Amino acid sequence: MKNSTLSKLLFFYEKLDFKYKTSFLVFIIAGGMLWIIIFSQLSVFIIKHDFDILFETRTQNLIKLEKIKDTYNVNIQDTLLDLAAKEISYKQAKDVLELGLGIIDKNWDEYKKSTSLDESESFIKDLLSDDQGFYENKILKQNIMKNINEKLNKIKTQLQYGLQSEPRTKKLSDIYLQIDSISVYITSLINYDLSITVNEKRNTQKNFNTILILSIIAIFLVFLLSIILSIFIINNFMILHNSLEQKVTDKTKELTELNNYLEIKVSKEVAQNRKKDIIMFQQARFASLGEMLNNIAHQWRQPLGSLTMIVQGFQTKSDLGKLTPEYIDDKVKDALMLANNMSNTLEDFKNFFRPDKTRKEFFIKECLEHSFELSKYILDENGIKSILEIRKDIKINTFYNELSHVFLNLINNSKDAFLSTDVDKNDRIIKVITKLHKGTLHISFIDNGGGIPDEVAPKIFEPYYTTKYKSAGTGIGLYMSKQIIEKHMDGIISQKNIMHKIDGKINYKCSLFTIKIPTKTDKGEMDAKQ
Amino acid sequence: MQSNNDLNILSRFNILYLEDDEQLLKQTTDILEDFVNKIYPVSTSKEAMEVLLNNKVDVIISDILLEDENGIEFLQYLKNEKNINIPTILTTAHTDTKYLLDAIKLKVENYIVKPINIKELLNTLYVVLLPIAQKEELSKQNNLIKVISLVTDSKQVDVIKFILDNLDSENLFVASYTDIMEKISISKPTLIKLFKTLAEYNVLVKTQHKTYRFNEKALEDISSLL
Repeated sequence: MKNSTLSKLLFFYEKLDFKYKTSFLVFIIAGGMLWIIIFSQLSVFIIKHDFDILFETRTQNLIKLEKIKDTYNVNIQDTLLDLAAKEISYKQAKDVLELGLGIIDKNWDEYKKSTSLDESESFIKDLLSDDQGFYENKILKQNIMKNINEKLNKIKTQLQYGLQSEPRTKKLSDIYLQIDSISVYITSLINYDLSITVNEKRNTQKNFNTILILSIIAIFLVFLLSIILSIFIINNFMILHNSLEQKVTDKTKELTELNNYLEIKVSKEVAQNRKKDIIMFQQARFASLGEMLNNIAHQWRQPLGSLTMIVQGFQTKSDLGKLTPEYIDDKVKDALMLANNMSNTLEDFKNFFRPDKTRKEFFIKECLEHSFELSKYILDENGIKSILEIRKDIKINTFYNELSHVFLNLINNSKDAFLSTDVDKNDRIIKVITKLHKGTLHISFIDNGGGIPDEVAPKIFEPYYTTKYKSAGTGIGLYMSKQIIEKHMDGIISQKNIMHKIDGKINYKCSLFTIKIPTKTDKGEMDAKQ
Repeated sequence: MQSNNDLNILSRFNILYLEDDEQLLKQTTDILEDFVNKIYPVSTSKEAMEVLLNNKVDVIISDILLEDENGIEFLQYLKNEKNINIPTILTTAHTDTKYLLDAIKLKVENYIVKPINIKELLNTLYVVLLPIAQKEELSKQNNLIKVISLVTDSKQVDVIKFILDNLDSENLFVASYTDIMEKISISKPTLIKLFKTLAEYNVLVKTQHKTYRFNEKALEDISSLL
């Protein structure tokens, strides 16, 4: 039953919160310490008290009693013997006897006083020993004291009044007898006191033992409880540690898994992005291809019209009989020239779309002029004038077609700007300025299409961002341009809106694209896979 | 294709041809100059204006998209600002409805899509110029009749005019001599003689009492005989 309650208690303790467990342990240790300190203080006080009693009440009293005894034996008996031997006169003897009696009275009074004081016991003693009275025979003591008192008074009276006249011998022997009996009484009183002292000593020993045992028990209990609780707490720590360790391992595992997953995901995303980029490059290519086809179509339309006319001319001339050899010669010459032009146009565009993946050295002027030539149709159709301020014939070592592509994109972008803002047809200007600065080619591409709105400006280089209507743009032209300039040519492309005087006439609101490309790069072959 | 005879009417007219593509301008001019009286090939509206101010131009052929300008805008300027209303044929590579709408608003006579089919262009020119040619022919005929009536008996001419004016849908003329004489002061013998002559040439055949048929075909046969 008790076992089960104990186990229940332990179980309950085990179930306690870690916080309560530690507070409990602290409480137990603190309480135990308090207990031990109280007991040790108590024992010290008791021992000191016993010492005090032993010395003051017991020993002092014994000395007093011995003094009384001695006084009787030495002073009075000797004086009386001297008196009997007549060595001293009665008067002398009487003085001595009175002196002796005074001493005896005084000591006796003190003894009585001290024994009555003795009655006040210390509360500690009360607390510890309730059975001390068994060895203290107060009645016996009082009896003895009473006897002594009587004897004392008797002797006193006898000494004072019985010795005045002769014959003293009989009286003296009687006094001797009295003194002897009082000596016996005193001796028994001493013995009694001694026995009490011995008892008290024993008692003290007993008390000391009790306190010692209690202290040991307290120490042991505190020690035991502390150990038990410590074990519990250590257990708790162990459990906590284990669970934490488990948690950490779990989390680490989770993290590793997550990491692996992320790694896979990242690589997938990267691959996907690459794919996307490739697709976008292709789309951009297709978009430009479409535009170029449009260009070719227009550039072919005119000579084709003339050729048609020449062919029909032969028929009408023949119908009218006016088909002369001179006419035929002239028209064939014209037709060949036109066909040759058409062929050249085709060659131009074919070159533009040739996947030219090697760097070559060329003049930037050449590339710019060629790009504007290729866009001639767009420019003419929308009445856009171009001003090329190529201040220096700068040679650059990079990808010709790609750079040309960028210029075409910019021209196209400007065209869209002109169309969307409805700039007056006679005031549409694209101006290009090139400069060389510390081995870097700076190309400023300006159009007076009103600039790019502030809310749009930060997004223009993002893929698929377009302000153009429906099919007007793919939204990747500028993105591609940025990719080409920054990834393939190690350059920078940026845009800002400016106020600019074109031709030194009117201050136009312009959009300025700045391209910076190093004229020489260490890179060999193109690294992009497209 | 119309016969060359029909296209002959073109040879009386002057054409202004506005086209910015020099090659096409040259080639087309080389062909058209065989058919028309005079062709003025120009490549800008400025030159065109100069030609219009100094020469008689019967029809304008213009490209819509010119170098730095628009043919429609130029024609609008001509009609609205200068009040010059000359039949116009537009040529363009664009079939955009936007241009078409503008062209319709401008009441352009016709519209040719490039590349130009020369026969189509010639036909178009014919269609555009035919009313002008006919109008000219008509006034010429009127003048002719007026001159004839001056030199011959004007009463007889008046009677023939009366008959032609009163023909019904089936080319039938219904009237008695008295009815005619009430309108025109002519003696009965002269009238009878005129009807007789017309009947002789099978031009006015009597089908019923007071009813005569006017025979157009007989008239053509006579003119061919003459």
